[in-house]
Amino acid sequence: MEKIREEIKEKARQALASKEVDVILAWEKGELWYDSYPAFFTKEKDIDSLVWDSFCVNNLSKYLLEYTMTDKKIGVFVKGCDALAFNQLVQDNRVSRDKVVLYGLPCSGMVDPDKVRTKNLNQGLTEIKKSKDKLIFITKDKEITVPAHEVYYDKCLHCRYPNPVTYDQLVGETVAAEGVLDDSVRFSGVKELEELSCEERFEYWDGQFSKCIRCFACRNVCPACSCKQCTFDDSDLEVLGKAREDSEDKFFHLIRAYHVAGRCIDCGECSRVCPQDISLEKLNRKLIKDINELYGEYQAGLDPSAKAPLGTYKLEDADSFTVGEKGGKKREKNSKR
Amino acid sequence: MSVVASSTSVKNVEEFEPLIVAFCCNWCSYAGADLAGTSRLNYPANIKIIRVPCSCRVNSNFVLRAFQRGADGVIVAGCHPGDCHYMTGNYYTRRRFSLLKNLLEYVGIEEARFKVDWISASEGNKFAYVMNDVLEKVHKLGPNRKLRDSRWKR
Amino acid sequence: MKKIAKDKLSLLWKKIAENYQLFLPITEGKVVNFSIWEEGAEVDLNTLRTVNSPKNIIFPQTETYLKFKKEGKKLNLEVVANKGEYVVFGVRSCDVASFKLLDNVFLDEPIDKFYEESRKKGLIISQACLNPQETCFCNSFGINPELAPEGADISTWELGDLLFWEAQSEKGKNLTEALGDILEEVIEDEQEKLNQLKTGIKDRLKDLPLAQINPETIGGDLKEIFDSEIWDELHRRCLGCGMCTYVCPTCHCYDVKDYDGNKGGERFRCWDSCMFSDFTMMAHGNPRTTQKERVRQRFMHKLVYYTNNYKSYACVGCGRCTEKCPVSLDIVKVIKKLGGERNEL
Repeated sequence: MEKIREEIKEKARQALASKEVDVILAWEKGELWYDSYPAFFTKEKDIDSLVWDSFCVNNLSKYLLEYTMTDKKIGVFVKGCDALAFNQLVQDNRVSRDKVVLYGLPCSGMVDPDKVRTKNLNQGLTEIKKSKDKLIFITKDKEITVPAHEVYYDKCLHCRYPNPVTYDQLVGETVAAEGVLDDSVRFSGVKELEELSCEERFEYWDGQFSKCIRCFACRNVCPACSCKQCTFDDSDLEVLGKAREDSEDKFFHLIRAYHVAGRCIDCGECSRVCPQDISLEKLNRKLIKDINELYGEYQAGLDPSAKAPLGTYKLEDADSFTVGEKGGKKREKNSKR
Repeated sequence: MSVVASSTSVKNVEEFEPLIVAFCCNWCSYAGADLAGTSRLNYPANIKIIRVPCSCRVNSNFVLRAFQRGADGVIVAGCHPGDCHYMTGNYYTRRRFSLLKNLLEYVGIEEARFKVDWISASEGNKFAYVMNDVLEKVHKLGPNRKLRDSRWKR
Repeated sequence: MKKIAKDKLSLLWKKIAENYQLFLPITEGKVVNFSIWEEGAEVDLNTLRTVNSPKNIIFPQTETYLKFKKEGKKLNLEVVANKGEYVVFGVRSCDVASFKLLDNVFLDEPIDKFYEESRKKGLIISQACLNPQETCFCNSFGINPELAPEGADISTWELGDLLFWEAQSEKGKNLTEALGDILEEVIEDEQEKLNQLKTGIKDRLKDLPLAQINPETIGGDLKEIFDSEIWDELHRRCLGCGMCTYVCPTCHCYDVKDYDGNKGGERFRCWDSCMFSDFTMMAHGNPRTTQKERVRQRFMHKLVYYTNNYKSYACVGCGRCTEKCPVSLDIVKVIKKLGGERNEL
């Protein structure tokens, strides 16, 4: 990582110097060890503060929405999940591909500060180094080596796309998708819930939703939530009130999840930022699982020219709705489309 | 097809009177309701019909909002696949509401409370049957407390 | 000063809960928040900071003012029942200090009756911070987490197996008396140890990474700060979520809304966030149309407007925004930018 950091900086400097791009989206470091945050570089001299470390978890693709109406050319550094998000924004016609230069960054995972704190590795911490699949936590008087997967975010543990699926230039070498997640693991949380009774499921979700403080961080961090104005924010429509009321909490979460159905890249950012630890990934993955089972395997963000599952249909789609003696049979007489 | 009439005869004020909201597509299901009426088929007064141009006009918000504000059951009815007045609308309906139905079940809402069905203009019988069927099931389930806004007064 | 063995605390909870609604830091999943204690609840006194600040106990996220009901042509109004007396145990010094900042606003004329009542009925028991974290900077705002904070009715310190207990106010003394034998008198030797503990905490504060944060470094008058170019850069990464404002112990903006519930309804107040696009929405629209203006509003309020009105900063250095903001746009960075760093430019 340390090696690549210099390469990244060099790329960014060159891109700004040659006017290939007007602005570079990358990360910068704050006061604390875990504090890497999105930064916007327009001047070559500022690039010195650009950082690439194990805490650059923020997805920069979403910031491209800001530039959709300008004629600026933007350089963006993207990890595997960020590249999926980028494709999704292109597919949704929210970002134009030709305005962006993508610098791909293979990423084997990002470190969860909470896990570091739980392990008490942050006491007197001066530096964190990465060597292959180990992380070395260096304090004044000692070094502690920890297998990286022990401190990675849960969402990174079974990353299926550690290498960017799209890029103009790749920085560094590709990494192997080690913990490739087969569907049985990926959807295990969903399956567990599906097997419960209706009442048990309600109890679970009621408990989850009622924790919500409605800060909207899950929505705002989501790269699939790219509407100019969110329906929840439109006070004329009164779709959602501001009261902490159980029914409104449920309304918000169900509609949020449903609105990104078929467009959710399963990056796990919503669960990561949730201050109340609501299992949002179990909602998103339910929809992904159903889409896969009903309409065929689909990974949002893989192919920007693909049709979104809810934006298309097939004549032979499953139909479980109808009852009674009449109807229910698939009608083949019209083969429009 | 027999028309279930038992649940419609519930007139006791003390007893639970379900409220069902039915979103009916203008071209098929709404006409189906008309036919049920002109054919003097019995379907309960608990069903409140909202006419929509096409079943795919029904946003998932509408369904949840109905549940929030008083509905004990929600029905979305459209033309049979292949018969859509706008050629393809109900194919989208089919995908969207397959997912929504599963999602509602997943968060613990009783399956019978949300019904999607295809009812053509000539299916007055089926219209009455579906309405009665949903009402009966919802009646058994009791009032919707899971999604209703606690501040809402019936 | 009194003391109680920590393994007897559940007896204490029980006794307090007989007469009060008792709020304690309780673990739910991975999250610790203040919630109502019931027998068997998983109390966590070690976690330094709850995710939500305890402000939601005295100033709830949603609070109903009144209910109305239509009967024929008449509209009947019903005032919502008053809440009972309550005790909050385990409030950290920063959060205790935040109550004072809220008081400044809500108990200033015109007095907010709901808030006033809520404050009167509450009894605050503070808990000293043995292990201030790297995100803590309460010292920068003149808060001493080792001392009994002003505004707490009772202050407590943990020492080994013991919890020391000192009543500060009339209310606190009454409760201490009512608890009777559960609490024992502290002996001199222990008093000495407690003093050592306090000095230890004080020393630890100096080594914290954010100890040097100093809001006094912010120079310039209101207009200068308002027009500062730092906002152009700072706001850009803001996602526009309301997490900072909702977990913040001192954010206190609210909205008053009516809920139309068919045959009746209610008027309620609810927290609002200056980060939201519909914040202070008026008939003509919104006075702050970009995220830059919204971000600026939040920090100007905390560091300039509030200070002009009440002679103190509207931040207690609890570190919630430092830890929780998904993009690290926290008050520490703003203070640094407005202070020292700005002069370097």
